Amino acid sequence: MKKDLKNIIEAFIFVSIDPLSLDKIKDILKEFPDKEIERAAAELTEYYSENKRGITIIQASGGYLFATQNEYDVYIKRLLKHEKKQKLSRESLETLSTIAYHQPTTLAEISAIRGVDASHCLKTLLEKKLIKIVGRKKSPGKPLIYRTTKHFLAYFELNSLEDLPSKEEIEKIIAEKYEEE
Amino acid sequence: MESSQSYQIDLEVFQGPLDLLLFLIKKKKIDIHNIPIASITKEYLRYLDNKKKINLERESEFLLMAALLIHIKSRMLLPRETYEEEEGDPRKTLVERLLDYENIKAACKILREKEAKQIKKWKRTALPRSVSFQELDFIEVSLFDVAEVFFKLMLRKEKDGIRVIKRKDFSVKEKKQDIIRYLKNYSYLDFLEYFGSQKTLEESMVAFFCLLELISERTVIAVQESLFHRIKVWLRSEVKE
Repeated sequence: MKKDLKNIIEAFIFVSIDPLSLDKIKDILKEFPDKEIERAAAELTEYYSENKRGITIIQASGGYLFATQNEYDVYIKRLLKHEKKQKLSRESLETLSTIAYHQPTTLAEISAIRGVDASHCLKTLLEKKLIKIVGRKKSPGKPLIYRTTKHFLAYFELNSLEDLPSKEEIEKIIAEKYEEE
Repeated sequence: MESSQSYQIDLEVFQGPLDLLLFLIKKKKIDIHNIPIASITKEYLRYLDNKKKINLERESEFLLMAALLIHIKSRMLLPRETYEEEEGDPRKTLVERLLDYENIKAACKILREKEAKQIKKWKRTALPRSVSFQELDFIEVSLFDVAEVFFKLMLRKEKDGIRVIKRKDFSVKEKKQDIIRYLKNYSYLDFLEYFGSQKTLEESMVAFFCLLELISERTVIAVQESLFHRIKVWLRSEVKE
């Protein structure tokens, strides 16, 4: 039975297209104690990281997801006849991380922090579903309020917003010299 | 004054005035908490003078910062008549903004590394191209729908002012093979995109007749994901190989 549990979780992750959270697994597998589910999930991810396979289980946006190992990228692109995936532009990334650290936030705030107008970037980020509008601020002009999305977390393989680069990590980069690219 | 000539960097590489200012501070190895406003302003303005092509919108942002720098300097020079308690160093707000921006830039570097790693991992969401049409819940489109979209597209093209100048004959047979080859390569053909990219009216017409023929002889199928969606053309699987 216990061995089954691991397999069941594996199958669950396999059929999930969005990250599958531990809570959801627990919710569905009521007949198993939570502790056992947690242990089985941990063993399963460990198995994938120890035994190198073509695919692996990643933890992103608060859930588990199957993904291919990144070194096989070249071959997969060949199979899918897919060109290079587009990276975010420098300005988009800068706008995005401003939002990530200052959310909930507005266009005026983002532009003030970056010292440049960010309206164009916001449009791109909305299209890419990396940010969303969550309402309007109760201040003059009723500006729109922006937040990052679940897809944002998945995009950077972050489990939650707490996984954003920490103060210490940032300080380390600044000390090293942060020139990007 | 000594090294400014050797640093001929285009303003375009900077994300904005804060970015440029930070760059100058690093370059001159200045303590960010104690910026010599006069010399940094001078340096900053020199960069603005070097500009060749920045659009007005961008330029105004850089100019705003120049004005701010000069304003700070003037406040530092002028003796104050009244000393308000909270008013400390006039540079304070600017320094805070610079530090904030520096943090964002550093965070970007870390996020960029994460992006690079993640972008190489393929997930099951990323596979729509390889799915065959039977697995998707499509609505089959009638020939009339296809024709309607085609005429709309041609009308739109007419507005764009296409002119048929070249005289070149297109054979139906060749064009048919062309379409099949395209489908084999890309699994499906987006109707609007495909005809939007045809160069001449004549070529579009020939391609369109070919497509109609292919549909009626059941080599391909035209489908929509739901009503009023874009029409996509798939190869019927039996003829795939």
